[in-house]
Amino acid sequence: MSNVAAPGPESQRHSHETIEHPYEDLGAVGMLGAAAIDLMVGGRELYSVFVRTLYYVARGKREKGALARQMYEMGNRSVFFLSVTMGFLGMILVYQAGLQAKRVVPDYTLLGATYLELLVRDFAASLGALMLATRVGAGIAAEIGSMVVTEQIDALRMCAADPIDFLIKPRFLASIVMTMVLVIWAGTIAFVAGAFTAYFAFDVPLQTFFNHQLVDFGDLAVGLTKCLAYGAAIPIVSGYCGLSTFGGSEGVGWATTRAVVNTSLAIIILNFFISGAGFLIFPG
Amino acid sequence: MIQFKNIIKSFGPKTVLQDVSFDVPKGSVFFIIGASGVGKSVLIKHLVGLLYPDSGEIWLDGQEISRFDEAQMGPVRRKCAMVFQHSTLFDSMTCAENVALPLRKHKNLSLKAALAEARQRLEIVRMEEFADRYPPELGDGMRKRVAIARALTVDPTYVLFDEPTTSLDPVSARRVDVLIRELSDKLGVTSIVVSHDLTSIFSIADRIVMLYRGKVRLQGSREDFKNTPDGVVQQFITGRATGPFEL
Repeated sequence: MSNVAAPGPESQRHSHETIEHPYEDLGAVGMLGAAAIDLMVGGRELYSVFVRTLYYVARGKREKGALARQMYEMGNRSVFFLSVTMGFLGMILVYQAGLQAKRVVPDYTLLGATYLELLVRDFAASLGALMLATRVGAGIAAEIGSMVVTEQIDALRMCAADPIDFLIKPRFLASIVMTMVLVIWAGTIAFVAGAFTAYFAFDVPLQTFFNHQLVDFGDLAVGLTKCLAYGAAIPIVSGYCGLSTFGGSEGVGWATTRAVVNTSLAIIILNFFISGAGFLIFPG
Repeated sequence: MIQFKNIIKSFGPKTVLQDVSFDVPKGSVFFIIGASGVGKSVLIKHLVGLLYPDSGEIWLDGQEISRFDEAQMGPVRRKCAMVFQHSTLFDSMTCAENVALPLRKHKNLSLKAALAEARQRLEIVRMEEFADRYPPELGDGMRKRVAIARALTVDPTYVLFDEPTTSLDPVSARRVDVLIRELSDKLGVTSIVVSHDLTSIFSIADRIVMLYRGKVRLQGSREDFKNTPDGVVQQFITGRATGPFEL
């Protein structure tokens, strides 16, 4: 399978070419068709990046220190950002839920339990991953995109180092591990922040809020599956966006924007399918 | 021997190379010259599979390589090393680690053995004392020398230099010229140099080909270029602002 390193998108473009608008001479139907073809080509290349990454992961050879460096970059450097955002989101969610509960059933005994189930099954992973997509995804695309426009990717290929093996694989492994760790940490922060919000805003005792009776194996399985899927999607999508950069610094800007948008989109779509499957496999 | 035969390459609606053909004799210092954006760098990237021609053939030592896939390009890239315009060293690695990378990947050396050999290679370009420094700590000329050392680690038969003296001070530029000349004279390496540095061209070139508006305008020796009556070539090699040369 050594020929998996087929020429990627970066090889077919002239790294110094300026960004043009290739469809401006086409009619509306032509533009639609061209966009559809672009989408299909992009999907195929994204799939190719994913398969090649899995191949290199399975092959097992690792650059010394690369994984630890990426885990530090993605994990340690995201802790503060994720803690703050998830803490505030936790407070907002519980406050809004408390207000709604007050109007309908003025009983807060299951507020903590319901909130915990929601966090474990969905919100901790999805909101945490969306936050990570903005920080980690943008960083990956900008770094790899800059390497494309400065010909460092070409230099890697000349050194017989496949950019997928050298750049994407360590980020892929680091992202899976650190997304899992960060989501558990961020979910805990969101829950504790929510507990204090419930205590101060609605006088819900902490021991009442800290209630895990609604969380079951299905919630945990769905939550962890989402962590795994999002952790894999962030480096693959943003790495692909970085590798398909062209057009100098303007292109790096585009790649970064595309990485954040596409990674967020991937997380939302994955959330839909994993949640759907979760409700089918673990109903109730 | 390298042969480019009828190479055509377009980017979108823009045709950069239009039916370009020429041969590069073995052991020579071969310059490809022409205005900025004429397709010189694009042309040499075809030789190592970083770009693929729309049509035409590229022959390397009797083998047609223009349709090779990434795996088949491995041996070609070992035979033809490339020094990029901006050195393209990896900032997260020391100079020694940069030079060691192709040794590990192309020759499957262990990290320890590759680093030891990398230090020897850095000695050749007089950069051994900077082996443990990171590229951002070095000047342009020093980075270029490390990049040359990295390219030479795989003992290539051909070395492609993409504007090796651009952005260098005159002394560093001439040192690079001397290095390229020595590669040919002492090691028999064929150097293909993309440049518009007239001093380099007329001091070390064995053969020169000039690209103009996507086509070969003239190929020959330094003397052929100096003596040609072609106004476009004369304007380019004398650097006059006015004349028939169109950008």
